[in-house]
Amino acid sequence: MHKYILRRLLLLIPVMLGVSFIVFTMMYFTPGDPARIMLGESAPEADVQKLRDDLGLNDPFFIQYGRYVKNAVVNQDMGRSYITKRPVFDEIAARFPNTLKLASMGVLIAVVIGVPIGIISATRQYSLFDNISMVVALIGVSMPNFWQGLLLIILFSINLAWLPSSGFDTWKHMILPAVTLGTSSAAIITRMTRSSMLEVVRQDYIRTARAKGQKESVVINQHALKNALIPVITVIGLQFGYLLGGAVLTESIFGISGVGRLMVDSIKSRDMLVVQGGVLFIAVTFSIVNLGVDILYSFVDPRIKSQYK
Amino acid sequence: MSIDVKKRKKTGPWREVWRRLKQNKSAIFGLIVILTLIVVAIFADQIAPYGYDDQNLRARFQTPNGDHWFGTDNFGRDIFSRIIYGAQISLKVGLLAVGIALIVGGTMGAIAGFYGGRLDNGIMRFIDILLAIPSILLAISIVAALGPELRNVMIAVGVGSIPSYARIVRASVLSLRDQEFIEAARAVGASDTRLILKHIIPNSLAPLIVQSTIGVAGAILAAAGLGFIGLGIQPPLAEWGAMLNSGRQYIRDYPHMTAFPGLAIMVTIFALNLLGDGLRDALDPRLKN
Amino acid sequence: MKKRFLVLLSLMLIFSLVAVGCGSNEIETPVAEEPSETPSETPVDSEPSTEPVKDTLVVGQGADAKSLDPHATNDQPSSRVSKQIYETLVNQNEAMELEPGLAESWTQIDELTYEFKLKQGVLFHNGEELKASDVKFTILRALESSHIGHIVGPIDGEKIEVIDDYTIRISTKDPFAPLIAHFAHTAMGILNEKAVTEAGEDYGQNPVGTGPFKFVSWVNGDKIDLERFEEYHGEPAKVKYVTIRNLSDNTTRTIELESGGVDIAYDIQPSDVARVEENSELTLLRDMNLSTAYVGFNTEKAPYDNLLVRQAINYALDMDTIVDVVYEGVGAPSNGPLGPNVWASNQDLEQYGFNIEKAKELMKEAGYENGFKTTIWTNDNQQRMDIAEIAQNQLKEIGIEAEVKVVEWGAYLDGTANGEHDMFILGWVTVTGDPDYGLYALFHSSQMGAAGNRTFYSNDRVDELLDEARVSADPAVREAAYKEAQKIIRDEAPWIFTWSGENVSGTRANVKGFSQHPAGHHKLSGVYFE
Repeated sequence: MHKYILRRLLLLIPVMLGVSFIVFTMMYFTPGDPARIMLGESAPEADVQKLRDDLGLNDPFFIQYGRYVKNAVVNQDMGRSYITKRPVFDEIAARFPNTLKLASMGVLIAVVIGVPIGIISATRQYSLFDNISMVVALIGVSMPNFWQGLLLIILFSINLAWLPSSGFDTWKHMILPAVTLGTSSAAIITRMTRSSMLEVVRQDYIRTARAKGQKESVVINQHALKNALIPVITVIGLQFGYLLGGAVLTESIFGISGVGRLMVDSIKSRDMLVVQGGVLFIAVTFSIVNLGVDILYSFVDPRIKSQYK
Repeated sequence: MSIDVKKRKKTGPWREVWRRLKQNKSAIFGLIVILTLIVVAIFADQIAPYGYDDQNLRARFQTPNGDHWFGTDNFGRDIFSRIIYGAQISLKVGLLAVGIALIVGGTMGAIAGFYGGRLDNGIMRFIDILLAIPSILLAISIVAALGPELRNVMIAVGVGSIPSYARIVRASVLSLRDQEFIEAARAVGASDTRLILKHIIPNSLAPLIVQSTIGVAGAILAAAGLGFIGLGIQPPLAEWGAMLNSGRQYIRDYPHMTAFPGLAIMVTIFALNLLGDGLRDALDPRLKN
Repeated sequence: MKKRFLVLLSLMLIFSLVAVGCGSNEIETPVAEEPSETPSETPVDSEPSTEPVKDTLVVGQGADAKSLDPHATNDQPSSRVSKQIYETLVNQNEAMELEPGLAESWTQIDELTYEFKLKQGVLFHNGEELKASDVKFTILRALESSHIGHIVGPIDGEKIEVIDDYTIRISTKDPFAPLIAHFAHTAMGILNEKAVTEAGEDYGQNPVGTGPFKFVSWVNGDKIDLERFEEYHGEPAKVKYVTIRNLSDNTTRTIELESGGVDIAYDIQPSDVARVEENSELTLLRDMNLSTAYVGFNTEKAPYDNLLVRQAINYALDMDTIVDVVYEGVGAPSNGPLGPNVWASNQDLEQYGFNIEKAKELMKEAGYENGFKTTIWTNDNQQRMDIAEIAQNQLKEIGIEAEVKVVEWGAYLDGTANGEHDMFILGWVTVTGDPDYGLYALFHSSQMGAAGNRTFYSNDRVDELLDEARVSADPAVREAAYKEAQKIIRDEAPWIFTWSGENVSGTRANVKGFSQHPAGHHKLSGVYFE
């Protein structure tokens, strides 16, 4: 098991190198000079060139990229933001917790809503409950979350004035963004749980259990659930990763100072090293979450565990 | 292989799929909505009562009424007409973005699965890298690099979904590669390209169709999201996400400006999802719950 | 077996909670180094019975500061914060009058040289006393800055003379009339040499000034906390703490003001003006500022090298309506290149006015009876895009088919500097309140391209007038020259004058002593609660 984890972590290295190379290349060839953006409408060419020199932007592509990788690997230094001059690591570390919190709460809401509804729907297939919850789930998938966010703000912040519409200080601030972010995931998890349960319920061993005259609740809880949950866990893991990235829109609607918004701003202002750092942070987190999901599997299904040895 | 056999092979399964799809009321509902949207998009010029950028600065912020069914926006433009023209853009973006992803991703997946080995490894690592970058950030960077135009938005949204198509095609190629009919075709001397195009792709069509239907929904949502943060298709073009964004500052006084584009997006995605679900059930009855 | 499921569920819960938990632990490490000083919940330990006295002023603005090193940036959100921390040699008050700041007095010694007498006993936030050497250090450092170097550009770095601890002589390379106004620019806040050297690269996050508030902490991207500097040399600030929040969404900023989340909100968006005005719990402040918006022509490129075409378009656009629609009553249509608050701005210029017949006539005369195809460039700024959209529509009337080209800021600056554009929309802020700042860079032929003259406008007489006014020590001569230059620019129409800006802030009704500065960076030390 340890070996497996170690190997997976090692595999991250080439992927991250690839990610950084792609992002770097893309940002490098994006039109718009960071120096000019910073200096604005009336910057004499000489000032722009001076700033470019200071930032190392006049060096050839491979020298810039090489310097970046070398600093990152040898000195564990991700550079400094062109704009705020702050270390990229600090810049991200200050915002990452917000994004992580937001995504985690989103997933939490999604799981708390999605899993039980999915299970109940599956056990009462074609019932009124099933039909309604499936339609609602589909609406949840179909609703653009930036629109939903606006609707929630109108209702809860403006009309009812119950919850704040921006900031991320107290739990009250977190409710609307987390619900906004979690809705579509809740819907996806509901659908996944339901279909996975249905799949399992049709298996022979469930039929056997039923034939033996066991109570339905026992059949469901003892036999069906744990097998049905394996694909659900995958989806949850994927959703978590998706929410980390998808927080961009939610963060901008609710004015949350998170990595997503930082990324958008930095892409707009061509703050290359911050974009790099942010994407790498998210990518690493995403990969670690996936690894966590795989490890979780082995608790649920001993057959999978044996594969890791 | 006689013509007769070939024909039966082609029509048979699809007719069966259609028969099953027809029984699924919600899928048919979705299909009707989508077809309506397509018709509306094609005949936008005839249907829309106003042009998408016909301004009337004396009739701004009208709430829905007889002249303007969905009201007017901050330039006095008819929102109903803009929604109709928006259908054009959204469908175009959705279909073409998926087309790009399908062709590029599908080819990569087919090559990876068919040849295996180093090539497979290389392609799949690349896919891993693409997957590790959150798709919306990828799309934003691509739009930033290429400029916020319709074509570039399609590319940006398309690139993000390359991995899923690559994986689907690769998986089905892997499962098909060693099956008898492939061996047989190879034995009679079919080239690799022919094998992939004539035998493997058609046989992995079912999951691709399902993925594409849902993919169109995802692409429309993603493009709207880009429009919403101001990096998508630019005004005065009537893109739903951009309409939502520009209505945002008037949300307290004139919520109709955000309500209709939001609804338009939702209905479209909803219909595509219904259709996608229906297609999945129809194409693979084993999965039907 | 059932247990297994529970175990699983709790695992998932724990997983999520750990993630959340990690978050809250991490957030403390990088930012709040002095948790005891988090000002938002101050009166915790006082007796709960008494009504807590509000001593924290919360201000909302549309973006986070970039750096609190005045030499490392030149953006409004940063200078709004810097203004509270730093002080300049010369103050420019809300009426745009120059008055003593850290310098008690100044005298012009010769054509090139000024002598400044510094106020004595001024302390920096780190306890150091302000000396002439700090002023010299600051200016030399500013000269090196690519961000604000142009503001001190005329100064000759080699001829800064420290006479004694409280006297300094500063010379320019050439006579430069508006020099004193430049010393009032927020970028010219006086720094402490020791603090800057000690902080090194991190100075932007550890600012030390002489101002009424000292820096406490910065939650990156979210808010900046300041605290009253008790040893301040002037009248101390009235509130103990100031928090400046980054609320980038305009609607949200107003909602926060209404709900009391902030005490002052800057830049109320036009569509919220009436709402704030009508709310009895709020006060609305409106004052014309120093900014202007314009539609420019690339005068080097056909057909805009033709004066008649430029004038025709001026007549073809209904600027009053455009301004009305886009800015919804905030600010005013402008009639010249300088706003009314700028000294020597020529307010007698006649607006072109909306006259389609005249426009068609001029187009015919210019040989473009059937119009032409063109593009209107704008960056992704909402108001500018709106102006472009309406202009596009109105230009159809005289046969001009314009395509709106929304270009990202970086690419926009590049493209317009290189002359790739046709028509374009931009703005300008004459921060110093001196016409030199608002005309020289924009209309002098030596400033073409990146330096500011993006219309590539060139007129010998205008050059001459701008040069003359730049060096003359006689205000009357300067005023006359600037007025004439503005008249020529109006007639030659490299710009369509569009809009003069207005500062619109909202405060809670109990906020007193707040007034707006035309340059947009408002002083907070006099603000108190009632």
